[in-house]
Amino acid sequence: MQEHRALILRSNRFLGSALVERGLVSVDDLESANEKFMEAIQSSELKRASILSTLLFETKSLEEQSLIDHLVEEEGLGLIDLSYIDLRSLRPYNVDVSLCWASSTIPFDKVENTFMLATCYWLSAPVVKHWEELLEGPVIWYATSINSMTRALEQVEEIHEAEDAAAAEE
Amino acid sequence: MSYSVLILDDDADFNSLLTDIFEQADYIVTSLTDPVEAVDVFRETDYDLVVTDHKMPEMTGAEFMKKIKQIRPEIPVIMVSGYLENDTIRELISEGVGGVFLKPLNIFSLLERTSELIAEAKKLENAPPQDSGSEPEGEVDAKLGFSFRSFPCKTGASTSFAERLYSLRNFRSTLTLIGEKGMHYRSICEDIRRFYESDAEQFVYLSPGSFDSAQAISLIEGAKKQGAERVTCVLLEVENMSAAQKKLAATLPKKDGDFGEVGVNLRAIYCVSGDLDSLFDEGLIDENLYILMGTAEVRVPPLRECNIDIGVMAQQLVVEMAREKGMAAVPRFEKSARDLFREQPWLGNYEELRATVRKIMDSDPGDVLTLSEVKAAMNLSEAASPRARFESYLSSQQVDLVRAAAILFGGERAKVAGFFAADVNEVASKMQ
Repeated sequence: MQEHRALILRSNRFLGSALVERGLVSVDDLESANEKFMEAIQSSELKRASILSTLLFETKSLEEQSLIDHLVEEEGLGLIDLSYIDLRSLRPYNVDVSLCWASSTIPFDKVENTFMLATCYWLSAPVVKHWEELLEGPVIWYATSINSMTRALEQVEEIHEAEDAAAAEE
Repeated sequence: MSYSVLILDDDADFNSLLTDIFEQADYIVTSLTDPVEAVDVFRETDYDLVVTDHKMPEMTGAEFMKKIKQIRPEIPVIMVSGYLENDTIRELISEGVGGVFLKPLNIFSLLERTSELIAEAKKLENAPPQDSGSEPEGEVDAKLGFSFRSFPCKTGASTSFAERLYSLRNFRSTLTLIGEKGMHYRSICEDIRRFYESDAEQFVYLSPGSFDSAQAISLIEGAKKQGAERVTCVLLEVENMSAAQKKLAATLPKKDGDFGEVGVNLRAIYCVSGDLDSLFDEGLIDENLYILMGTAEVRVPPLRECNIDIGVMAQQLVVEMAREKGMAAVPRFEKSARDLFREQPWLGNYEELRATVRKIMDSDPGDVLTLSEVKAAMNLSEAASPRARFESYLSSQQVDLVRAAAILFGGERAKVAGFFAADVNEVASKMQ
């Protein structure tokens, strides 16, 4: 995760500002969340370093449903529950799962050259830019919930572990 | 043509000051201190504009305005007061006041607004009714409802900026101003300070040249002695601060470390010139500050986005410099000269504008600042060689340096002249 430290800082900073700009959280709430976020960064617990998780689950100053409603109604994003998706290894895409954790984003399918990406960080421009530059091909973006993302990434990690174990046996 | 103005203020001294200001600006002034008498006089006389105080014993300025608006609603009214609640200002605006000025007065702005209001009233008087959507593109009539001086707010960009700052005035612990090089952050922060009317709210300014915990604590203690319950520390040029200063800047609003013992609430305004992400990538802004600055950040519009403001800002600088020089009359730009100000890109923003005006004012101008004088100053500052530009810069700084040395040497001309290895008379003229 350390290699994604700069992206984590930038994407969370942008997300916080975007949430305030859209009236989804107040400046005071963001300020409290920023403090907790920096504590996580400084203690190098980068997997825990997420403004969004902090706002949703620690300070409880944002309701995920409001955010998802905003993404669907105002930003025109499709919504996806990753538990209904048959997830596979990310290795064919040359994507490191730590980047997915760092940006709360996962490529869950590829149709011809087009990648399907689910994210909790659509409002963070650096995340969108990073992924669109990384993947070679057009991207269709979907919004998803934090819980759906967490379960999906854990599942992908298990898939990778199984692949590694199989490779070791051979 | 001279226009007639009715001035009403129960404070005889301030009434006299207002009368002098308007008479010197060639208005025909009737000066009264009693609002009841003023209503009677207004009924009998044709005035082009009324200037009134708000707080008066027999009736408030708002009540007076209502009465005269019933007699002649088309006559513009300007309210001048020592203190007004924001709600009162909004109410006055909704009732048709043409301008609200809080003391101490910005005389130039007052006269500027006076002439605008009279011109608008005459235009309406002489023209058939029209749609209101005829303002020039990009220009808005900024009835902000609060005092704001760092930008005249005649453009959408500067008006939105002022409104955003006002909406964030009660920020809890940090506010970040991000703009291009050469912006006038100190004046902008003075505007933020003026959003609060009470001594309980004090601002102190900290720059890379001198900022350390001892200096900051000393300034905070000084503010406390003046009655501050909350101190806002304005940190200028954060990008130029040392690593230790940046660390200190981040701890300040949290009252960590050295600031743990100050018995007063602290907030910070970070002023940064440049693109924050680039500064972060270059290591000029550390992680902690980068996140802290994301809480409430406001982009300061560059001058080129506020082109209608620039002529007014230039004239404000002339007023300020004329006062510094003790000039009897304040020179004014002719219209073509003001238009030229609007057309320039001002890549060096306010500092470049100030340097240009300084050059004009240092050339012993007459009462009217002509297009050719402005062109000459701009050519020197823009088109000349690097050497000429550097000479011009040094020249513009010369008077400030001489005055600083004069303070250092207790005003002794010989010592100042010796310090600069210059002629005593020449130094004396700069000191004046």
